[in-house]
Amino acid sequence: MSAAVGTLRGRVGALQFQEYALGLVVIALFVAGAILKPDTFPTWDNVRNMLTQASIVGVLAVGMTFVIATAGIDLSVGSMVAAAGVFGGVLVDPGGGTLLFIAGAIGFAVLLGTINATSIVVGRVVPFIATLAMLSVARGLALLLNDKLPVGLLDLNGGSYGDPAAFSLLWFGTGKILGIPVSVWIFLGIVVGGWILLNRTRYGRHVVAVGGNREAARIAGVPVRRIVFSVYVLSGLMAGVATVLLCARLGSASPVSGNLYELDAIGAVVIGGTSLAGGRATMVGTFLGVLTFALIFSLMTQLDLSTEIQQVTKGAIVLGAVLLQRPEAKF
Amino acid sequence: MNGSPADAPPLLAVRGLVKDYPGVKALRGVDFDVRPGEVHCLLGPNGAGKSTLIKCVSGVVEPSGGEILVAGEPLPPGDPAASLQRGIATIYQELDLVEDLNVAQNVFLGHEPRRGTFLDLARMRADSRALLARLGHEAIDPRTPVRALRPAAQQIVSIARALSHQARVLIMDEPSAILDSGEIETLFEVVRRLTDEGVGVVYISHRLDEIKRIGNRVTVLADGATAANGIAATTPTDELVRLMVGRRVEQLYPQRPPGGSEVLLEVREIQGLPFVRGVSLEVRAGEIVGIGGLVGSGRSELLRLICGIDQRERGEVVVAGRRLAPNRPDLAIAAGLGLAPEDRKSQGLLLDWDLTKNVSLADLGRFSHGLLNVRRERAAVRDQLRVLGTVPDDPDRLARELSGGNQQKVVLARWLLRECRVLLLDEPTRGVDIATKAEIYRIVTDLARAGLGVLLVSSEFEELSGICTRILVMREGEVVAEMPGAEATQRELLAHAVVPTAGPDLIEEIA
Repeated sequence: MSAAVGTLRGRVGALQFQEYALGLVVIALFVAGAILKPDTFPTWDNVRNMLTQASIVGVLAVGMTFVIATAGIDLSVGSMVAAAGVFGGVLVDPGGGTLLFIAGAIGFAVLLGTINATSIVVGRVVPFIATLAMLSVARGLALLLNDKLPVGLLDLNGGSYGDPAAFSLLWFGTGKILGIPVSVWIFLGIVVGGWILLNRTRYGRHVVAVGGNREAARIAGVPVRRIVFSVYVLSGLMAGVATVLLCARLGSASPVSGNLYELDAIGAVVIGGTSLAGGRATMVGTFLGVLTFALIFSLMTQLDLSTEIQQVTKGAIVLGAVLLQRPEAKF
Repeated sequence: MNGSPADAPPLLAVRGLVKDYPGVKALRGVDFDVRPGEVHCLLGPNGAGKSTLIKCVSGVVEPSGGEILVAGEPLPPGDPAASLQRGIATIYQELDLVEDLNVAQNVFLGHEPRRGTFLDLARMRADSRALLARLGHEAIDPRTPVRALRPAAQQIVSIARALSHQARVLIMDEPSAILDSGEIETLFEVVRRLTDEGVGVVYISHRLDEIKRIGNRVTVLADGATAANGIAATTPTDELVRLMVGRRVEQLYPQRPPGGSEVLLEVREIQGLPFVRGVSLEVRAGEIVGIGGLVGSGRSELLRLICGIDQRERGEVVVAGRRLAPNRPDLAIAAGLGLAPEDRKSQGLLLDWDLTKNVSLADLGRFSHGLLNVRRERAAVRDQLRVLGTVPDDPDRLARELSGGNQQKVVLARWLLRECRVLLLDEPTRGVDIATKAEIYRIVTDLARAGLGVLLVSSEFEELSGICTRILVMREGEVVAEMPGAEATQRELLAHAVVPTAGPDLIEEIA
């Protein structure tokens, strides 16, 4: 019935259209900020801040893009960030090094992601429920692992916060290369890598095929179960990287960190134009979605709007983006 | 057929209907009318505009120009509820029943009778029963879940639903495509009952023989225009084909391939209950092996088992000397199998993907050395589409935009690109017009001559006896007969296919 409807928009590539539109939104938001707060908004410091802040959720959003491309969802990324951070912190508490922390945090997040993948693929639990359960489990673990207390990580930098040496933990959070924060470089690198993986490899094509039509993909020889498994592990890996960036910036690992990061990540992906129904994914869109969120909240903060208002706005934007995604609305 | 009531005023009249899509003129001034009590057949190759015409009439699509009159009154455009309310009901090829609901719930879906706030279940059941009885199918219990019904019985339920809306014009989009010969008789009986009551039926089919048997008049669409408007259904088949395709189809069936000696596919005692009960067969290089049988005899399931898509309980599959692990379609494909499934739209293609990605999906390794070479990928796909004469052969088009026959070619292109050795085709010409049918037969025959093995499932006995080297007949999950294609007669095939104990009316033994 919708065959004819699809024709209209399909050819030109609904994706590119949405990407251009979102690019304009990003520019418009920046201009709006520059007009409303000419002294503080369009400054290099503020841009750098925004990007640094966005890099953590941005990394999660890249992993989430792959998950959503298969028509899945990962609600547990925020909790995984907290659990992986505390796990890494406990691991290095007396006398560990940066490398051990990074390996521990990423390894733990990958383990949690693998548990998600196993319950979804082997246990055939729907992703929504499996990762909702993990949301609770990982948050609980984060609180249990160090008795509800945050772990200080400044020891990894000789006890102080300032001027970290290259490749020390805090360097990943506050260091700069060519004036741009290391965390932003990492985020950009992951976006580019994610784009290549999604658009220029067999794996990426298979991921989107599974989301687009599981049965057709299977008949065409796509190893559907392996692909679905892999995206949740990938999402865990990205949660691990995000953990490192967050802890590096704060100099500590808190069991209550990462709260609602899943909403930010999912929101950015959906605003970007990746279809929640699967089969259509865009890394450029995700990147622009992350920037959109970052700009909106930086602007709201500068306009002295409370975090409560920001939270209401965030939810409303995500809902609006999903409403716009309905097939009927495309027409 | 009894003569059509020629003088009655039309129930539905379409005048100069135009529908533009960006870049495409789907309808360029179509005239069409339906009188009470007639069966008006709508003919035309895929892409001629039949579906668009129906969608305009049923309000799913808003026409760009022209008018639609229902009993002399203009129809509000693009309003499905208005069309339904005026008694125009459509039964789509893909039946839109909710399988988990029962018959009565489906019949009254969306307009359930109520008593106060609550559903009047008793009335729903009684009314459903009455509607089914009107169609001559009181044997269908309104409490049966639709899932448990055969496709033919589901179709009856769809028709009952249409009647529940007081349908005066019933549009049936290829109703016979999912039915076997016995079931088609049942359908015709239902259609005759409806026309006796004065309902006008629009009947779309690619099977030209049906038109003479059930139709009163024929309208032929070609390229979005009316090539013939309301001519007699007795018009010779040659003439109808000429009107449809603008030329004569020289020869529908090419010369059948002789078959070779090398065994490419060997299946031993394969079983997947309840559909397939221990089937053995061989396909050699260069031959087309047909599998005939009624709907539900386990033919499609057999192909799926061979490819490892469904769970194999026992038995062996050997492709070109390699034994296949069960339940692993990816390994089956690596060994050289390729399946063109029965339902192209839901199983064969990713409709929102372009042709490039659809064709290359099974063979991305060819273009991938770590990274995909998308330019080489696109060029290779374009070549393959051209070889098969796909229209359009633009690799950037979306699969959704192609007609059924061309979608089938896209699926074939996938397996040719992959250089598969054994092609499993499940109803490859279902819903395909006669000119494209002839093309697909030619392609498949050429492939067999080039050394592929082909296993072809079809419900059209004529097709099987037309192109197959050998024919196997399945009944209730087993192969019950084998014969050389050149000697098979439709009569003989049918005799093997039907269950000896049951009568021709298979709908009676539902669930």
